[in-house]
Amino acid sequence: MRFDTVIIGGGLAGLVSGISLQQAGRSTAIVSTGQNALHFFSGSFESLEEAPERLSELFAEAGVRLHYRPGVRLMPLGTFRPAALSLEDVSLFEDPGFARKVLIVSFTGYHDFFSSFLAEGLEKAGMSCRIHLLDLPEIERLRQSPSEVRSVQIARAMDRIWERVVQEVRAALQDEDTVILPQVFGLKDVSVPGRIRQGVPARVVFVGTLPPSVPGIRTQALLKRRFELLGGTYLAGDEAVRASVEDGRVRSIATRNLDRHALEASHFILASGGFFSKGLRSNPFRVYEPVFGLDVDYADDRNAWYDPAFAGDQPYRRFGLKTDAALHPLLGGAPVINLYAVGSVLGGTRPEFGSGAGLAVRSAFAAVDAILKEEAL
Amino acid sequence: MNTREFDVIILGGGITGAGTQRDCAMRGLRTLLIERSDIATGATGRNHGLLHSGARYAVNDPESAAECIRENRILRRIASHCIEETDGLFITLPEDDLAYQQTFEDACRAAGIGAEIIDPDLARRLEPSVNPSLTGAVRVPDGSVDPFRLCAANMLDAKLHGGQVRLHTEVTGLIREGDAVVGVHTRNCQTGEAADYFAPVVVNACGIWGQHIAGLADVKVGMYPSKGALLIFAHRINRMVINRCRKPSNADILVPGDTVCVIGTTSTRIPFEECDRVAVTPDEVTLLITEGAKLAPALSSTRILRAYAGVRPLVSADDDPTGRNISRGIVCLDHETRDGLKGFVTITGGKLMTYRLMAEIATDTVCRKLGVDRACETATTPLPGSEERSYEAVARKIWEAPSTAQKAAAARMGTGASRIRSGNRLDDALICECEEVSVGEIENAIGQLEVSSLTDLRRRTRVGMGTCQGEFCACRAAGLLARAHGCVERERKDLADFLQERWKGNFPIGWGDTLREAEYTQWVYKHVLGL
Amino acid sequence: MKAQEYTVSKHNFEECMKCTVCTVYCPVLQVNPLYPGPKQAGPDGERLRLKDPFFFNYTLKYCMNCKRCEVACPSGVGVADLIQASRIKYDRTPPKLRDRILASTDLMGSLARPFAPVVNAVTGLGIAKSVMDATLKIDHRRSFPKYSGRSFEAWLRKRAAQQAAFPEQVAYFHGCYVNYNNPQLGKDLVKVLNALGVGVQLLDHEKCCGIALITNGMSKQATRHAEHNVGIIRQAVLERRLPVVTTSSSCTLTLRDEYPNLLGVDNADVRASVLMAVRYIFERLEAGATLRFKPGFRKKVAYHVPCHMERLGWGVFSERLLRMIPGVEFTLLDSACCGIAGTYGFKKENYEASQAVGAALFEQIRSVDPEVVACDCETCKWQIEMSTGYRVENPISILAESIEQ
Repeated sequence: MRFDTVIIGGGLAGLVSGISLQQAGRSTAIVSTGQNALHFFSGSFESLEEAPERLSELFAEAGVRLHYRPGVRLMPLGTFRPAALSLEDVSLFEDPGFARKVLIVSFTGYHDFFSSFLAEGLEKAGMSCRIHLLDLPEIERLRQSPSEVRSVQIARAMDRIWERVVQEVRAALQDEDTVILPQVFGLKDVSVPGRIRQGVPARVVFVGTLPPSVPGIRTQALLKRRFELLGGTYLAGDEAVRASVEDGRVRSIATRNLDRHALEASHFILASGGFFSKGLRSNPFRVYEPVFGLDVDYADDRNAWYDPAFAGDQPYRRFGLKTDAALHPLLGGAPVINLYAVGSVLGGTRPEFGSGAGLAVRSAFAAVDAILKEEAL
Repeated sequence: MNTREFDVIILGGGITGAGTQRDCAMRGLRTLLIERSDIATGATGRNHGLLHSGARYAVNDPESAAECIRENRILRRIASHCIEETDGLFITLPEDDLAYQQTFEDACRAAGIGAEIIDPDLARRLEPSVNPSLTGAVRVPDGSVDPFRLCAANMLDAKLHGGQVRLHTEVTGLIREGDAVVGVHTRNCQTGEAADYFAPVVVNACGIWGQHIAGLADVKVGMYPSKGALLIFAHRINRMVINRCRKPSNADILVPGDTVCVIGTTSTRIPFEECDRVAVTPDEVTLLITEGAKLAPALSSTRILRAYAGVRPLVSADDDPTGRNISRGIVCLDHETRDGLKGFVTITGGKLMTYRLMAEIATDTVCRKLGVDRACETATTPLPGSEERSYEAVARKIWEAPSTAQKAAAARMGTGASRIRSGNRLDDALICECEEVSVGEIENAIGQLEVSSLTDLRRRTRVGMGTCQGEFCACRAAGLLARAHGCVERERKDLADFLQERWKGNFPIGWGDTLREAEYTQWVYKHVLGL
Repeated sequence: MKAQEYTVSKHNFEECMKCTVCTVYCPVLQVNPLYPGPKQAGPDGERLRLKDPFFFNYTLKYCMNCKRCEVACPSGVGVADLIQASRIKYDRTPPKLRDRILASTDLMGSLARPFAPVVNAVTGLGIAKSVMDATLKIDHRRSFPKYSGRSFEAWLRKRAAQQAAFPEQVAYFHGCYVNYNNPQLGKDLVKVLNALGVGVQLLDHEKCCGIALITNGMSKQATRHAEHNVGIIRQAVLERRLPVVTTSSSCTLTLRDEYPNLLGVDNADVRASVLMAVRYIFERLEAGATLRFKPGFRKKVAYHVPCHMERLGWGVFSERLLRMIPGVEFTLLDSACCGIAGTYGFKKENYEASQAVGAALFEQIRSVDPEVVACDCETCKWQIEMSTGYRVENPISILAESIEQ
């Protein structure tokens, strides 16, 4: 099967690349080894402090609204982190002292949202907090399965009964100026978080939960749908297993499901992620890239892979593909000229692209621009 | 309850200390156990968890072997919920001398161990993971034992007999009156609070650290620190214990226990000062994997969960640099007769398998000193939780249609599982999904088993011991602990400490899926949760 | 081999990162809180079951084996395989009479076929449905597939000589559904392949692929079917040098993947030669073959990728073929389970759950309002037709309709 571009990896970097190329009229296929890190997305794009318009526009067309306001956001364990460009669900504040009195609302028996940690963190920042737990029959029903009172199952119920939550919050509200709710709203129905904000007579702040991330799942679904509506081919649950490279160019890749039926294209984008996503793999002897066998920048001495402190800056998270300035990865020291590496497979951080979701988006745009420019010549 | 006077104070919350406290308490003594950290943090919790049949010692140390098999039979009776009766194989590989097998079997028989030479084909059928190229196999009554559970059950029974326990309390000095020890100065490691406790007898059951305690009493007990490294694999690949039928050596025992299996060990002499900070080296990891794969080839391609090391509390006997030929016999020192110091007893040497016997010997010494004449009953009285032999029966007795988590609780707690609040969906909710630990089980541990941190909780419930190594359960359990202790600030630090402790065992084997998991966990705590 | 260079585990269960993605996409969890969920039932539970089969839990039967967890898993864990394999290994509950009946699709077919008009009339009657509901716990709200009076095999056998005349040949694993319920689909395939210059042969007495036997706890019979079928496929592929084509995504997944993964029946030498016909046709067209389409053909088609087609990863071939037909207005429906899951939705205890699972899909179909829904799975067809009133056809039938004789 032939496409203009084949993208390996269906996460943020892959979808942003795919949507952009498809929008530019290039037939594109995404090979996605299962679902991806968007399911653990915190809702904010690190290192996208400047020039977020292009992403905001791309997201808006997919039905995902972003907002931009440099400041801080509230983390699930009651700490604050700098943030700027974020999903609309994420509240951004100028500084941590954003409220006076806060009502933290959660559900009885929901262990993936950390009300007491939030309260302690906010009290430290000078706010007074009250925790209110909701008892809803829908949650009691979920509890029949001891492991499944998860954000996503709650969110499924909330798409139906969010109005009830609004009523309960209104009833519980005393003189608090702010209400904190877990991010379990708007899984399918994107309008729900906004409607809750309208319905509650206080500022509403949605705070993250343990994965899976409801805003992340929603974002993934909307981006994928946008890509498919633009005519893109999304090969879900398939995996690139090997590539045919001749004279410094990728001719085709083979996937697990399509086996002998190779995917051919003029350009390829490798957006296969870091270790978790298996874009990079490791064994006791080396770190390697499994599809093409590309050159990886890593430490030979395994002792140098780790910082013994869990919270330290882990060296292994900086390991990534060696590329030239145009993001062509190196194979045996020479660039593969119709292949571009984007996102975490480049390593956790790159000076020119930053890290995390910011790295994914900026490197994806860079690769797309290079492909379109090259074709224009 | 606030009294600071006891009949006996036991120092050390390892299995020897806990066992001694139980025995003393059952004989009617007022007991206090003091531990500077948590239960089972020394050698007790850092070994294979092998329920030795004694076969391993049969050729070189018949006395230890005979002790082992006697205690093995006793533990099956009194500690059934801590034990899995898996049986074991001693296999001969092509590079081993098959003639040793007969020497081995004869020695086992002489020690009273029911060893039976079986056909290699039968061995391959009994234990499909065993190295198929084996040339001989001997079946022995080995098993596995959960040392945390065993230690907790002893402590719990001591408490049920009126004993008191002070964990996270360090002994800063011994209180002397003339030529007698009459008590201890202590400091609470968490609050810094100092306290003195008094008793006519103090038992030093501090394992390798006993040398330091003896030093406080100005008597000398020379310990022989020998480090042993082990690896935990992410799931059980073997049903039976697999040993090599040859002179004991490195990495020649593979023990299945709970949801995992453990290969070990190495043996390296280390200076005493290093006992508190042993770490596993890359060379040890390589040795464990390559030697382990000779027992069960699947080990070379099975995910590794953790690496850890312990220090054997051997008593110096000779100059053997490997520490392997030292007798693992029990040493009970009455310092009154040995050093002229009254009221001070050291119980050391021995091993996990013989803890009960060590406790009995120590308690006999204590009773003699106190003039108490009560017989030891620990060999016949089941530990709390072990009143029923099989966890299957326990689970079916408590619950009509037990869920997997309830079955897992019964396997962990034995009859004690009936104490878990259950039948209420809030209590049935899972905190740890890998090991299936519910809110009810955790709250039971917090209420009954002296839990002050997530790491303490892990030792009592297996929370965080599964594949994800705390990725999801650590923060959930932290929420419960914060509620129980009414302090979030302390819990925030506890959570960070717990994740650090997990990482310490992960990074020495940080490749493949373990590295993937670590990347995910570090991502979740740093970027998603904001720890 | 260097130690620890690779790690392997049965159904890759150790690759599980406990990331919870599977729980997001499990359709059963969305509607049935008694199900422990794919993560718990699969890789989490497996570690305990390896310790002792006692830890097996009967609630694993709620798994529909739709494999959506496997498609979603970022780690390549065979989550549904783990669940089904442990049911095969540890579940000792004998299957109910009702499950035996539902699972015996070929036996039922061969008994019902000669009396098709009567059977169809009776199974369609309210009273018969009530009786089945009460005695067999087959839900009365379910419409039963109709039986055809003449089997596909008999039809094709009569044309063996004519088919043999084509320059190229394939063997067709038609499955129970084409043989007993919908021979027209088989005829449609013959029409399309003939138009490409390819003749169609039967395998040497195929048996039901056995998927329903597996999910209904009859793995021994399923294994016998598997051994027989792999034998005749081997004969076709290795001796007669024929590729084997299929029109049912579930049969195909079973022949290719469930045989080795769940039943331990090795098919490695022939697996790559068993292809959905849509893939085979697409590849021939890609290689230069052409079809003559009817001028003026117009059809609004919404394509539903069945769960097992999604797992095969071949929905793209059906999509491409349908988009290729001039005059087709094509919509790709959102990937979602219809809820039937083979015989699962027929069971009284599952009816509500089954309908709830499919609700979102039905809603989307109504909003698209196509002339026909395309789908490669026969049980999805029954479910969607019954629940929405829209006609459902295999992409092959739509293709057949669009081309000149």
